[in-house]
Amino acid sequence: MSQKTQGSRLEIQGVDKFFGDFCALKNIDLTIEPGELVCFLGPSGCGKTTLLRIIAGLECQSGGLLHQGDTDISLKPPRDRDFGIVFQSYALFPNMTVADNIAYGLRSIGMPKARVRSRVDELLNLVGLEDHVRKYPAQLSGGQQQRVALARALAPSPGLLLLDEPLSALDAKVRHHLRSEIRNLQKQLGVTTIMVTHDQEEALAMADRVVVMNNGVIEQVGTPLEIYQQPASAFVASFIGAMNFIDSSPLNGQRVKVGNRELELVRPLPSAEGAVRLAIRPEDVHLLPCGDGEWEGEVRALDYLGAFIRTHIRLNDVELDLVVDVDPRSARRLGLCVGGGICLNLPSDALHCFAA
Amino acid sequence: MPEYDPGKHSMIDSQVLSTPATRNWPALVELRRKFAGRWVFSLLLVTGCAILTLLVLAPLYTLLSKSVENRAGEFVGLENFAHYLSSGGIESAFFNSLWVAGLSTLVVVFLAFMAAWALTRTRLPFTGWIRGVLVLPILAPSLLPAISLVYLFGNQGVLKDWLFGAEIYGPIGIIMGSCFWTFPHALMILLTAMDNADGRHYEAATALKAGPWRTFWTVTVPGARYGLVSAAFVVFTLVITDFGVPKVIGGQFDVLATDIYKQVIGQQKFEMGAVVSVLLLLPAMLAFIADRYVQRKQSASFTARSVPYKPSQDRKRDAVGALMLTPTLVFIFAIIGMAIYASFVTFWPYNLDLSLNNYQFGRMDGGGWGAYGNSLQMALGTMVIGTILVFFNAWLMERTPQPRFLTGLFQFLSLLPLAVPGLVLGLSYIFFFNHPDNPINGIYGTLFILMLCTITHFYAVSHLTAVTALKQLDQEFEAVGESLNASRWRVLFTVTLPLCLPAILDVALYLFVNAMTTVSAVVFLYGHDSQLASVAVLNMDEAGDIAPAAAMAILITATCAVAKLIQGLLRFWVDRSTRPWRQGTE
Ligand SMILES: Nc1ncnc2c1ncn2[C@@H]1O[C@H](COP(=O)(O)OP(=O)(O)OP(=O)(O)O)[C@@H](O)[C@H]1O
Ligand SMILES: [Mg+2]
Repeated sequence: MSQKTQGSRLEIQGVDKFFGDFCALKNIDLTIEPGELVCFLGPSGCGKTTLLRIIAGLECQSGGLLHQGDTDISLKPPRDRDFGIVFQSYALFPNMTVADNIAYGLRSIGMPKARVRSRVDELLNLVGLEDHVRKYPAQLSGGQQQRVALARALAPSPGLLLLDEPLSALDAKVRHHLRSEIRNLQKQLGVTTIMVTHDQEEALAMADRVVVMNNGVIEQVGTPLEIYQQPASAFVASFIGAMNFIDSSPLNGQRVKVGNRELELVRPLPSAEGAVRLAIRPEDVHLLPCGDGEWEGEVRALDYLGAFIRTHIRLNDVELDLVVDVDPRSARRLGLCVGGGICLNLPSDALHCFAA
Repeated sequence: MPEYDPGKHSMIDSQVLSTPATRNWPALVELRRKFAGRWVFSLLLVTGCAILTLLVLAPLYTLLSKSVENRAGEFVGLENFAHYLSSGGIESAFFNSLWVAGLSTLVVVFLAFMAAWALTRTRLPFTGWIRGVLVLPILAPSLLPAISLVYLFGNQGVLKDWLFGAEIYGPIGIIMGSCFWTFPHALMILLTAMDNADGRHYEAATALKAGPWRTFWTVTVPGARYGLVSAAFVVFTLVITDFGVPKVIGGQFDVLATDIYKQVIGQQKFEMGAVVSVLLLLPAMLAFIADRYVQRKQSASFTARSVPYKPSQDRKRDAVGALMLTPTLVFIFAIIGMAIYASFVTFWPYNLDLSLNNYQFGRMDGGGWGAYGNSLQMALGTMVIGTILVFFNAWLMERTPQPRFLTGLFQFLSLLPLAVPGLVLGLSYIFFFNHPDNPINGIYGTLFILMLCTITHFYAVSHLTAVTALKQLDQEFEAVGESLNASRWRVLFTVTLPLCLPAILDVALYLFVNAMTTVSAVVFLYGHDSQLASVAVLNMDEAGDIAPAAAMAILITATCAVAKLIQGLLRFWVDRSTRPWRQGTE
């Protein structure tokens, strides 16, 4: 069953895109390895869809080069490129049955009838829709339509699969299920895949590598873990997960000053002069019983979020609010209550610092 | 899973990889890509623009230039206009046209609004049938109500006394006749505007203790205001540009449309015909621009979250609705019934025996059955050629990559015919196609030029219908097709056309019916071998053969009704066989 197509390598060099005077993409450089699943992640309007459409050839870049495998595809029309695409709306042909939709791309390359039939059966098996061959798209649920769109894109065995927010039209439960299904399918077939999303949870759960974009530029490229643990910029740090930011001024070496205290950092400062922003994740802050920690504060509010408790703390001697996540057991041990005092440490290996 | 080195891939130094060539000439790269494979479509749309230029712009230009030339073809500035002014034409024809069209508009919009209210806000039974009867006049040539009115209220009319001595030949007849044939146009616009009412507005009004009268003025009327304005513009334009009704029943009462006819056919003063045409073009253009402006301001107030309005059971309101519909229904039945009856009466009013004498057209002037055959041919040709042309061009504009200015230009050219009255178009066709220097003046006087003129005359509405249907399809169909190695042509034939079939049938019927019934666009253009049924009605009426004229008008109407029936059956069949496509599960 798992006939492995060789996914292709994609290289994007210095791609720009202007809409009139507006610069939607600025100097995009990116290489995607064969068989990889890469997510484009970023806030609305940052240019994810535009970049995807340029890769597909549906939009034309204002400058820059694209290579798929060894061929230069920069000037090729979509028909001469080797990709399959799934749109947010799926764009299934409503006047064709599931089978005809999947067979559409096979028929346009003139594949013999018998082979079309066996290939369609194979794909129906792959996405688990054997029982719905004769149905029309309007007679399927959203998740089923999604799978048909996926099967249709995969039918001609493209080297590259492009997905534009493929799950955003579905409700949460189906979304979770399809997430892992798409990921397994992609691994099984080995097709290089690019997925656009603005759901960071989706990106972190599915991707081999995440491309974080903002305002038409790439902010960072890395594995989900790298993106989360070593954000390359303050934007990435704040966009992915929750983050506390602390303003500080640099002293000599790797020391910075916060309020009237000095902190020693494990990493070198981003620049010698200018203010520095320290950042720490809510779960990295250590809470301690009163009198044990370096910093003292007062609990302002407690949000019970199921698996953990989000604690809002106001530090006593500096004007600073921190958000700290604690598990319920530690919270009980510390006797957390609104208005109560608390002590905390900021572990230096968990502190990130960015140029302000 | 391939290995990769994060250090190598993250944030590659862009300066190293970017090639100076592509950097320096971004516009060039974009242009080359844009051009590749797209020029075919652009070329086709340029051809579409050229065709419309030939069919609308060029003739109109010739007409305008004729209006500032004397008979010998020398430029004389506004002399012709001054001449027309001094002959008193402005006072009589121009102002007559304005007030007659204005009054007809008021009456029609009022009646149509009452009817639309009754159909959408009450629970009357048989609304489907009532709708069917109310739009019947659209199948008849505008000459039919005029002829019927002669039989009802004319010198030998059965209801002559009802007018208390007033003459039907004149403004009264024109207004009554115009009301008959423009009513369906107003009704359809208002029904569209009022069918999509948001039920929540009515619930809110009820919750705020508004009575029915207050609800009517604060919810129903504001909700229909764009429909009302649009209907008013449409009716005004239709009446002021119509030629059939005033020709038959206008008597000595001059309006612009009959004035053009008299100047050109009666006195052979073509340059004066052009002058009057320009005067007729002005109000029509103004109404067109104003309507476009209003339409643009109209935002869709019916959103996906709206709840469709369902009228509640209310006997009293149903009775009011029935009362509002009755006069219009009676009027429509009376006009059509009278025409049918008159067409079978042997010799009005002396021998009331029924016979088929009046249908023996061979014995009258006007072309006889040959004219009817010509009309059928012309209407079928218009339908086939027109539908293909309209859809193909609309597809090029909507579903293929085109430069902005080209789609803008095409949209302008396609909507322009909406502002050009049929008579004006017909006259400008004489000037343009009958010119000795025109290489294709051979088509003058043939059925083919009648088809071209008719397609042009009714291009705009067909174009809008096609564009609306094409816009509703998922914007990504062509993109998916390309990713699956299918050309736009294949997507067109396998996806777009099947999905647009209902709209295609609508456009085909619209073109057929209008080609059968139109008089104004073709009255200057028919030749000896290309007489048409609708023109035959006019000519027989002019020769005093009113009964055969009525018979021919009834024949045209019956033909259109049959066409409508066939189209209805086809649509039913299409709807049934495509139900699985549209049957949602949500
Ligand atoms: N055809 C166009 N003409 C002009 N501007 C455009 C066009 N297409 C996109 N843009 C602009 O380019 C920017 C990037 O658009 P894009 O669709 O790529 O955003 P996105 O990252 O996909 O956002 P979203 O998450 O909302 O889908 C936006 O500011 C958008 O307004
Ligand atoms: Mg997008």
